[in-house]
Amino acid sequence: MTEYIVEMKQITKSFPGVLALDHVDFSIKPGEVMALLGENGAGKSTLVKILSGVHTRDEGEIYIYGKEHKGDITPVSARELGIAIIHQELNMCSHLSVAENIFLGREICKSGRLAKKEMNNESAKILDRLKIDIHPETIVGNLAISKQQMVEIAKALSTDAKILIMDEPTSALTNKEIKELFSIIRTLRDEGRSIIYISHRLEELQHIVDRVTIMRDGKFVLCDDFANLTMENIISNMVGREIKEKFPRVQCPIGKKILSVKNLNAGRMVRDISFDLYEGEIVGIAGLMGAGRTEMTRALFGIDPKDSGEIFLEDKEVKINKPLDAINNGIVLAPEDRKKDGLCTGLSVRDNIALPNLDIICNKLSVVNHKKETEMVDEATSKFSIKMPNSDVSAASLSGGNQQKVVVAKWLARDSKVVIFDEPTRGIDVAAKVEIYNLMNQLKQQGIGVLFTSSEMPEILGISDRMIVMCDGRITGELNTAEATQNKILEYATRFEKKLESEQSA
Amino acid sequence: METQVNNKKTNLLKRIMMTRGMGQVITVGSGLIVLCIVFGMINPNFYSSANVTNLLRQIAPILLIGVAQSYVLITGNIDLSIGSVVGMSTMISATLMSKGYMSPIPAMLITLLFCLLIGATNGYLVAKCKLPPFIATLGTMTIARGIAQIVNNNYNTDSIMKFFPEEAQTFKNFFYYGKTAGLYNTIWIAIVFWFIFNFLLSKTRTGRHIYAVGSNIEAARLSGVNIVYTTIKAYLVSAFCACIVGFITCATVGQGTMDAGTGYEMYAVAASVIGGVSTLGGQGILLGTVIGASVWGVLQNGLQFAGAPVAIRNIVVGVIVVMSVLVDIVVRSGRRRKKNVLAKY
Repeated sequence: MTEYIVEMKQITKSFPGVLALDHVDFSIKPGEVMALLGENGAGKSTLVKILSGVHTRDEGEIYIYGKEHKGDITPVSARELGIAIIHQELNMCSHLSVAENIFLGREICKSGRLAKKEMNNESAKILDRLKIDIHPETIVGNLAISKQQMVEIAKALSTDAKILIMDEPTSALTNKEIKELFSIIRTLRDEGRSIIYISHRLEELQHIVDRVTIMRDGKFVLCDDFANLTMENIISNMVGREIKEKFPRVQCPIGKKILSVKNLNAGRMVRDISFDLYEGEIVGIAGLMGAGRTEMTRALFGIDPKDSGEIFLEDKEVKINKPLDAINNGIVLAPEDRKKDGLCTGLSVRDNIALPNLDIICNKLSVVNHKKETEMVDEATSKFSIKMPNSDVSAASLSGGNQQKVVVAKWLARDSKVVIFDEPTRGIDVAAKVEIYNLMNQLKQQGIGVLFTSSEMPEILGISDRMIVMCDGRITGELNTAEATQNKILEYATRFEKKLESEQSA
Repeated sequence: METQVNNKKTNLLKRIMMTRGMGQVITVGSGLIVLCIVFGMINPNFYSSANVTNLLRQIAPILLIGVAQSYVLITGNIDLSIGSVVGMSTMISATLMSKGYMSPIPAMLITLLFCLLIGATNGYLVAKCKLPPFIATLGTMTIARGIAQIVNNNYNTDSIMKFFPEEAQTFKNFFYYGKTAGLYNTIWIAIVFWFIFNFLLSKTRTGRHIYAVGSNIEAARLSGVNIVYTTIKAYLVSAFCACIVGFITCATVGQGTMDAGTGYEMYAVAASVIGGVSTLGGQGILLGTVIGASVWGVLQNGLQFAGAPVAIRNIVVGVIVVMSVLVDIVVRSGRRRKKNVLAKY
């Protein structure tokens, strides 16, 4: 018998092109909160996904309750073992009700008939215990993201899980909700449950964490009691040595104002946004998940309808009602989800680059001028050093970083004045990230205004000349590189409106 | 005391209104009523009891295949093989009876087996082999039609009355010509199966899983829902309903015709979609399919009564299908914007 409830030894997992986990060890005792730390892409999520049956391991041993678990863990067997995971990306059936989601896959039946009332009552009880004020019959799709996450936690708890994995549970929550969550976590720990807690918000750890495991680039780094570690220890172990080279900064003179957004409103997530953008500068838009950054870029680019607001390009007002208006005015967007919005993955790189530029490369009869196309594609691919066998391979076959480059290249084949990147480095490896940063610097040196959103604070700090912080659909702060720190950004990013209200009433 | 009762009433009303998918049922339902009024005004005979019972009997098979398609659509897939399975069911059962191999009951059982095999194949190809449902069921659609043609060597069958006159007459009465409690049996069959499958979809675990798979397949998988079984079950229901409609067709004509059920898969899509079942999955209720099938039947029958030729009927039905989905989308986006505005203040 060991003292551990879960032990994972020498776990290895590779995805096409990436070694996600390289002989990682991990263990947790009953009744403790274990923080699993590491930068994005360190392999934390992959590790817990193996434990919860989402992925299967390539190599390694897993012991649960001291017994070796041979073979793969499936979602069902994980649940039987008492392992529950709250996913970072919300995984809910948005058409179904809260209770239906909580009991999905293990519905209570009475003589073959769903016991709706019981499931509703049971869900109400769980939600009540967690002090979450949601009616169990509410349709999940109608709830705010933070509430959906609460439902997800309730779902995990409803299985009476002994091992609870929380992957970034607080990223979409308000301070008050985070406090509530922590008190729940403490209660669960005192009941003897083990909690694996993954978070980027290091300042939260002191409130709940007992032990810490740190990973870096898919490798195990260290495991120790939280009390033995200082914040500096933790950070230096997480980031390793590379941090200096990671953000190549280029100085270049700031030119005249090119873009000016005044009082932009679009739905609930974009409220009264005003900012300016100058030639040759990179402006980073920071904020927590759900702060409205993506929505803002979408409204600016004309994807989502605007309610009000003015946009000035080189001091001339422009109307942007659809993406084509934005493109014609020289504003382009590299969207967040490359595969969904940015690229036609079934088409070749050549076709992708040519797609938005067909007006340039076609003659009057709309026939594609092959020579012009080839010239454009060659220029674009060499300019951004896109790595590929030739331009006729499908865009899907490229790595994430190269795909991102294709997205940018296709826009820059025409003269653009403003380039908006939405989460340009999400899901790509460190080397590719650097290339994206170089690309942004390159654009900046050409006198293009670059606007980019990112959830990774070091990235915002490292690459942008100026940063705008958003919270709840509003701009809550603007910072220069010199004065900005992670703490300051976070402070602005958590300035929720509720606080303002309480100040006003006080 | 009185207010309490009132409260209870409004609560019930509220709960009915809150039921998912009820919105479209009510919109299209009111459209249906308007249609009936208009057709009645054009030709008062539309309301004659003969026509009403006849109309209901026309709607019954459409309702059944509508239920079939709704099940599959709610899982986020589509079943194009429905029409061919109807044809296959008609031809296999008619061949077995008309050649004197079997009396109706064993013939029906054998036929059902073949139909369910097609359904299971559909489900397996889509869920397990991950074939696009459009392609997989296009294939089985062609196969099933081929089987319908080959069972009797590429000929329509003789009368099913030839060898088992008595049993075959019972078969014909049971599925088409007979009446129970003043309504044609066909109507009763549709009602009974509608209730069974509505119960299965709205009140059982399988039903819940069908919605979950259509709504978010990844969430369903991670919650331990067996996606393959669930999808296969939906296709089995589809094949079962199509098989029953095949029997109805066989009973109606009294022989097997090779082109029976041609185009039914699309009528089934029409009935489902008019009734608010989303082709993207996860949404829709079978009450909607009743309304959808009724709209289809009333249009066909009413236009016929009004003297419109077949071509005009087709055009009108096509327009209605597009319109009903369009109205739904417009209403929904309007509601969404309203919600956003409300949330702001």
